[in-house]
Amino acid sequence: MTERPAPARLELLVRRGDEEGFELREVGSAVGFINSRPQRVPPESFELAEVRSRVAGERRCILKNTATDRFLLLTAHEKFLWERMDGHTSLQELATAYVLHYGEFDFEVIPNLIHKLQRAELLTLRPASRLRRVLARNRGRRIVKAVETTLFGLERIVIASRDVQPFFQRLHRWGGFLLFTRVAAVACAALAVAGALAAVGLWHELDAVLAGFGGSAVRAILTVKLLFFASVAAHQLVHGLACVHYRRRVREFGFTFLHGFVPTFFVDVTDIFMTTRRARVVTAVSGALVHLVLGALWFLAAARAPAGFFQAFATASGIIQWQALVVSLYPFCFIEMDGYHVLVDTLGVPTLKHDAMTYAGKLLRGGAGVRVDREAALWIGYVLLSAVSIAAFVAFNVWVIVKATS
Amino acid sequence: MATSSETLAFLREVRLFAALADPDLLAVAELLRERTLRRRQILFRERDRGDEMFIVRRGTMLVSKEITGKVEQVLVRVEAGDFFGEMSLLDGSPRSASVQADTDATLLVLGRESLQVLTDHAPHAAAVFFYSMVQVFIERLRRSTLQVAEATRWGLEATGLDVETR
Repeated sequence: MTERPAPARLELLVRRGDEEGFELREVGSAVGFINSRPQRVPPESFELAEVRSRVAGERRCILKNTATDRFLLLTAHEKFLWERMDGHTSLQELATAYVLHYGEFDFEVIPNLIHKLQRAELLTLRPASRLRRVLARNRGRRIVKAVETTLFGLERIVIASRDVQPFFQRLHRWGGFLLFTRVAAVACAALAVAGALAAVGLWHELDAVLAGFGGSAVRAILTVKLLFFASVAAHQLVHGLACVHYRRRVREFGFTFLHGFVPTFFVDVTDIFMTTRRARVVTAVSGALVHLVLGALWFLAAARAPAGFFQAFATASGIIQWQALVVSLYPFCFIEMDGYHVLVDTLGVPTLKHDAMTYAGKLLRGGAGVRVDREAALWIGYVLLSAVSIAAFVAFNVWVIVKATS
Repeated sequence: MATSSETLAFLREVRLFAALADPDLLAVAELLRERTLRRRQILFRERDRGDEMFIVRRGTMLVSKEITGKVEQVLVRVEAGDFFGEMSLLDGSPRSASVQADTDATLLVLGRESLQVLTDHAPHAAAVFFYSMVQVFIERLRRSTLQVAEATRWGLEATGLDVETR
C-alpha cells in the first residue's frame, strides 16, 4: 500500500511595516482547504429534483448539470451541503452548520461531495466577495482601482496570534474564572439594575445632560466611539475566557479589517462547538455582557457627576455600550452576532440567515413555487424583523447625534 | 581580509573551495571580506542591484521570493558553509530573491573584481571553483523542481481539486 504523503506546507515570510521586521508562518494546505468557499454553478446551469424511496422512505435528490447533461444522486446530507455552496460560505462554516444540523460530522463527507461535484462540473472555485467582483470588473476606472487597492491593503492588516491558548489559560487562572461564578452573575445583574435606574434618571434630563458637550459635541462623540472600540477587545477576550473555562482551545485572537473596511478585534472559539449547548450559549453571551457592565458603570458615573462635559461624555459612553449590548444579543439584524448564534443554536436552524435571504430573494423576484409553511414563516419573520430593526437602529443614532449637536 | 588559520580551516569545509590546493585557498581567502548581520537584518531585497556572492560563515540566512504585497515564500535556509547570491555575481542581473538573517550571522563576501583577480592570477583555482559551483547549481535545480512539485501539491490539496478522476 502506498503511504499517503503528509499534507503539503508552505513557509511564508510576512514583512511588517518597518524595514527589517518580518515573521515566518507555515501554512498547511489544510488551512487553505477549510477556508476555501466552493461556489456552485449558476441556477440556470442545474436542476434539482427530489425523489423519495418508497422502500426506505429516504429522501434523495437528483442534481442535473443542464449544460453537460450529467446527473448526480445526492443524499439529504449532501443536498444540505450543496445548498450552502454559494461562494460565501467557507468549508469550515459548512462543517459547523452540518454539525449543528445533524449533530454529527464525518470529515470525508465534504471532500467526497466536492470531488463528485467537480467531476460533474457543478462547482467552481471562484473567490467569494461580490463587492470584489464588481470592483474587479470596473478596474479600468481610476477611483475603483484606488478603492480596490485600499480595501485589499486594509484587509491584509491582520495582527493576530494563533498561539494564544497559554495566554487565555493564564488569564483564566489569574482571576478570569471569577467571571463565570454565581457571584459575578449576581453582581452583573445588580449593576444592570443600578445602571438602568441611573439611565432612566439621565433620560429625563437628556437635553440638559447632552448640552454639557458644549461646542465640542462631534469631537466628543468620536472620542466616545474610540473608547468603545477598546471595549470590543475586552468583549472578545471574555469570549476567549469562556472558551477556556469550558476546557476548549482558543484558536486565534487578533485585530483585522473585516471586509477591508470594518476595524474589529476577533477571537476564534470554534472549538466550543465540541462541547455542550449551555457552554456555547455562555460563551456567546458572556462577551456581550462586557458592554452591559461598562454601560452600567458609565451611567452610574454620569448620574453622580455634576452637570457638564464629563456627565455628557459618560452618558454618551453608556448609551453606546448598551447599544452594543443590544446589537450583540439581538439576533434580528442581518449580522451574525452573538445573539444570532444563540438563536440558531436554540432553534436548531444553523443556516437561518442564509435560508431566509434566499427565500426573500425568491419572493422579491416573484419566484414560482415559493413555499408557505412554518419554516417559511420563520424566514419571513427573520427578514422583516431584521429590516425594521436596522431602520430603527439607524434612526435612533441619527436622533442621538442630532440631539447632541443641536 | 587578514587570513587566520581558522578562516582557512572554515574554507576547506566549504564545498566551493574544498578541492583547492592550500596556496590557492590562501589566495581566495585574501580576496574575501567579512560582513556581520544582526538577526532579522535584511542583506538585500529582490530586484536590488548586486555583484557579490556570499558564503555563510556563521548563522542562518533566509532566502525568500515575493508572492504578493508583503508576503514572500521562503525558498531556502542557507546554513554555515553554504553560499548564495552567485547569480548576480556572474551575470550582473538584479537580485532574484531577498535575503535576510534568520539569526545573527557572519558572511564572507566575494565581489566580481575579486573573482576577476582569481581568474587572472590563479586560473586553475578558478576552474576548480567554477566546476564546484556548477555541481551545486545542478543540485539546486533538482531541488527547485521538487519545490515546484510541492507547491503544486499544496495548491491541489488546498482547493480539493480531484484531478485523478477528472
